Amino acid sequence: MPNTQFLEVAGKKTQLIVHGDGPPLVYLHSAAGEAEWGTFHERLSKKFRLYVPAHPGFSLSAGLDQIRNMDDLAWHYVDLFEQLGLSNVPIVGMSLGGWIACELLMRRPQLGSKLVLSASAGLHVPGSPIAELFVDSFDRLRPLLFLDPRLPAADELLPSSQEDPRVLLWLRAREATARVGWNPYLHNPRLIDHLRRITCPTLVIWGAQDAVIPVAHGECFAKHLPHARLEIIPQCGHMLQYEKPDAWHAAIERFVLGS
Amino acid sequence: MEFFAFHLMPWDRLPADFDEKYESAWTWLPNSLYDPQHGVELYNRYLDELVLAEDLGFDGVCVNEHHQNAYGTMPSPNLMGAILARQTKRVKIAVVGNALPFYNPPTRVAEEFAMIDVISGGRLIAGLVVGGGPEYYSFTINPTFAREMYHEALDLVVRAWTEPGPFEHYGEHWKLKYVNPWPRPLQQPHPPIWIPGAGSKETIDFVAARRYSYMGIPYFHIDFFRKNFEAFRQACEQHGYKASPRQLGWLCPIYVAETDEQAWAEYESHLMYFAHSLLKGLVVLPPGYTSPRSIANINKALNLFLSQVKTRADVEKGAYAIVGSPATVRDKLLEYIPSLGVGNLLGLFQLGTLPADLTRKNMTLFAQEVMPQLRQAIPAFPPIAAVPVPTYQRA
Repeated sequence: MPNTQFLEVAGKKTQLIVHGDGPPLVYLHSAAGEAEWGTFHERLSKKFRLYVPAHPGFSLSAGLDQIRNMDDLAWHYVDLFEQLGLSNVPIVGMSLGGWIACELLMRRPQLGSKLVLSASAGLHVPGSPIAELFVDSFDRLRPLLFLDPRLPAADELLPSSQEDPRVLLWLRAREATARVGWNPYLHNPRLIDHLRRITCPTLVIWGAQDAVIPVAHGECFAKHLPHARLEIIPQCGHMLQYEKPDAWHAAIERFVLGS
Repeated sequence: MEFFAFHLMPWDRLPADFDEKYESAWTWLPNSLYDPQHGVELYNRYLDELVLAEDLGFDGVCVNEHHQNAYGTMPSPNLMGAILARQTKRVKIAVVGNALPFYNPPTRVAEEFAMIDVISGGRLIAGLVVGGGPEYYSFTINPTFAREMYHEALDLVVRAWTEPGPFEHYGEHWKLKYVNPWPRPLQQPHPPIWIPGAGSKETIDFVAARRYSYMGIPYFHIDFFRKNFEAFRQACEQHGYKASPRQLGWLCPIYVAETDEQAWAEYESHLMYFAHSLLKGLVVLPPGYTSPRSIANINKALNLFLSQVKTRADVEKGAYAIVGSPATVRDKLLEYIPSLGVGNLLGLFQLGTLPADLTRKNMTLFAQEVMPQLRQAIPAFPPIAAVPVPTYQRA
């Protein structure tokens, strides 16, 4: 198990795990808060030196009081990248993390060498609403997040009940997500007009049966990003790396390590 | 001791397949189920029941605010307060309350409450509330800012009532160049402020510090109220004064009939409709509405909530509702009121599907055969200790 470190980023205590040998790769996690080391992090770290920061308010990162909206969160990552000396590096953003990656790169395009948008939030697509994620019941969340809600890997991500000791971290994650994503709901209405600023090669990767953020969002990203292509993984829901890990890892390795 | 008749103005006609078909009576329950034609009858009947409370000698009436739901069809309690200001002459009108983050700018609350206070000749009790969890979904207001918005708005409303305008308000959520509401309230320095709470330490401490009044959020087991009211009294001690029972209110469903058996026979199905249908979806805790730890604690306390009761024995054991003959209701209230230490009893005499005739009979029996004896038995309470320096005024 790799070490967890804590940085002060402009006064915000920030949890960070860095692990693996190889070229750097930054992973920006989703609303589910997968910032603790898990199966897919381990697998990514076999090929990359993986950076996994926890957003303010997630895991043991503090500082949510200094995050009023997505703008503040994007600048937090400008600060974090600078502090870590990261620039011109590949970034994988999952769902909420994909939205953060877009907000970061539209402000500082040079920070990203390549971008992977994995079932990314951030857009409003008329006729294809993002599902209601702020529900109390884990039994209702599972079929939203996974095509197969009985998938054993789902237990790694989600608490099983209100008695699960992970519930407090889950509630923190929900609050930190709502802070930036309650209204407008998990998107920035202005983002679409700024996507042209993100000029690095981009892989948009989506589960064909994503019940949270419909594939139409992936198509919209691919259409408006200057150098993007869309890859759809069949028989897969929202949490791609849990549901179809082989396809997800292979696509990322091909895209990031290929020339 | 003051007796209030509280009305939720519920929707009493949910479809027979409601339980199977709908997950909630809130937020997402399709408004095609609302029948305006039936609403004509319902609103007017419910208002008549509150006017009746004055005729029967109650000290006050209570209305409250809820949105997009079948539990309480009063999105604007101020409209009801305005009607009651004209249709009654004596009772206090407790609007408990206005959900401050939903008023933009919140000085609207200062204005509308002042209007009701002036029209009624100074009979308003001003409830200032955060708004229910489901309503943050209904209005897409960010619940992670709920507490901040609430506190900013509350200070602004009180300041608008007490400080000569115009003045500038430069807050986190509202920036107003000219705060100068007309009219000003008749009651000075401002109408009494009631604030509801479900036991959070922060709310109890805040209400105690300001010397406002604390109303227990209803439908919990009596032990839950007992604990919270005791915490309130302790908080007042810590702020250097002794709490008056006038600062505490207990909202409780009450049903009186000729005998215990008759009361239960007439009431039980209506209470269960309320508990199992209308309460379904009420306790929704959106992210950041309160701290993660408080949310986890409330989720755990839900086994002490009325929606969980199954039988008459459950109801009686937790005093979720006081039901019985005049003698039974009297005896129970004579036990509970002093033990809770409350000076305001907020009786819910109509709930769920309880029809007009039974509601009127219930209120009449209570007013004639319970209330006078309770007034006699319970001694008068001291006034609320004066605030040495108005703490609501900023330095």
